[in-house]
Amino acid sequence: MKISQKNKLKNLILEFIIILIAIVFIYPVFLMVINSFKSFREVIIDVIALPEKLNFSNYLYVIDKMNYPQLFLNNLLITAIGIAGIVALSSLAAYIIDRQRNKYTRLAQLFIITPMLIPFQTFMITLLKVMNIIHLSGSRVGLGIQYWGFGIPMATFIYINFMKTIPREIDESAYIDGASTFKTFIYVIFPILKPVTVTVIVLDVMWIWNDFLLPLLMVNSSEKTKTLVLAAYNFVGQYNTQWHYAMTAMVLTVVPSILFFIFLQKYIVKGVVAGSVKG
Amino acid sequence: MGNKSKKELILFTLPALIMVSITIYLPFVISSYYSLTEWNGISKSAKFIGLQNFKTLFFNNSQFLNVLIFTGKYTFLFMLLSNVMALILATFLVQKIKTANILRGVFFVPYIMSMIIVGFIWKFIFSQGFARLFEITGWGFLNLSWLGNAHLAFYAVVFVGVWQQLGFYIVLYIAGLQAIPEDVMEAATVDGAGALSRFFRVKLPLLGPSITICLFMSLTNGLKVFDIILALTQGGPGGATYSATLDIYREAFQYNNYGLGSAKALVFFLIVLIMTQIVLTISRRNEVEV
Repeated sequence: MKISQKNKLKNLILEFIIILIAIVFIYPVFLMVINSFKSFREVIIDVIALPEKLNFSNYLYVIDKMNYPQLFLNNLLITAIGIAGIVALSSLAAYIIDRQRNKYTRLAQLFIITPMLIPFQTFMITLLKVMNIIHLSGSRVGLGIQYWGFGIPMATFIYINFMKTIPREIDESAYIDGASTFKTFIYVIFPILKPVTVTVIVLDVMWIWNDFLLPLLMVNSSEKTKTLVLAAYNFVGQYNTQWHYAMTAMVLTVVPSILFFIFLQKYIVKGVVAGSVKG
Repeated sequence: MGNKSKKELILFTLPALIMVSITIYLPFVISSYYSLTEWNGISKSAKFIGLQNFKTLFFNNSQFLNVLIFTGKYTFLFMLLSNVMALILATFLVQKIKTANILRGVFFVPYIMSMIIVGFIWKFIFSQGFARLFEITGWGFLNLSWLGNAHLAFYAVVFVGVWQQLGFYIVLYIAGLQAIPEDVMEAATVDGAGALSRFFRVKLPLLGPSITICLFMSLTNGLKVFDIILALTQGGPGGATYSATLDIYREAFQYNNYGLGSAKALVFFLIVLIMTQIVLTISRRNEVEV
């Protein structure tokens, strides 16, 4: 009895300490949010005080100035195209690589997965040149398609690992019923892959939605093709003395990610763990 | 192998092979060639100059060496702090605490935010927030020029880098800790091991695979640091926080030295490759099977 009470007290103190650490940890995000509701004068006088009233005028101004709806749409389009291609091409490749298992598939697997070890910055200089030549730079669709190449290595790796756990009898019974390899994949295998597909989608949404360097190289020239983070980077650079507008732009940029996290927390945590077991 | 299955293999893997080739392999190979040339990126042909760029990098240009030293120092401190802090917090967050789930979420929030925005948030905190907090508390460290002093700016960027990624490593360590069988810990307790020795003698060795993953991820993420520095210091003050990736970017896209930039990129690639292999080998050697 005594010991368990002592443990309870210990846990309570521990919990209190961690809550304190967490509050300090997240305080910068809180400061960003409260300052986005203040007027210029309020920010100058006291950055720590709460806003006098919940004022959305900064938001109306920034949404208009940044052309936020257009940016949001751009991000949505680029991310959707990227994810659709990565999921389709990777799962298809992983399926045949795992099911055939011979020297050709081993070669294909090595070729597709090895780029996980090549940092993007080591070939970005000539990437821009190559993309200019094949007209994949300067447009949202082109940028979305580029993500296929960068996302496929890791996605294929994750899919192959999961394919190994699906018994072959499942494909074989589909063959006996007369289905082709492709149909078997679409109607039988792909539905079974759903949990990994969720992992791949979660990881790639977090990556593509927030990516900065590739959009900076590819779609920075026009207002119509910019991504959210890229526009926020330019906007904050321009408004670097008007912190109230800068903070508003930053909040508007991270809100979609935070909502995504709040609603899909369970899948995100699972996906992060599954996706990183690649070392 | 039948003709049909050969055809299917080609058909099903070709789209993936093509995409990986044109976005990664082809630029990489071309870039390796350009590292042997002098090219401004505009003129039609690049002038072949052999290994001249590499000589310039290592013998005539101390700037690149400084950049590599900064990147190495950054990566080391980043790896050390993020792994130690994540491991400590993860150990507490797997205890029976009512608010554990919310707390895990709180620590993960910076990780889902764009690194550019994270950099800007901290630029605001360091310049505006710290000044005001100093007025209230009078704590000396708040009154230092965290982004203006070369020595302090180094610690500032490491700190912000760790802040952004900590939640990611916490999640990985929590998964590792939860995978340790209960009976192993109970046996250690029965044998009279105290909390500390249970942690160092039992938990830590059994966490081997998680530690390997986290070391690997923090190593590559540290070496590649770019966005946070661009938003926070832009490499300043006086080049004190100039990272390798920022240097490659500027050499090519701002100074139009595509040949020299490609040479730097190739050296950077080799360093990343060698470092990751070393860390993986050492870390795996120390893993213990359950």
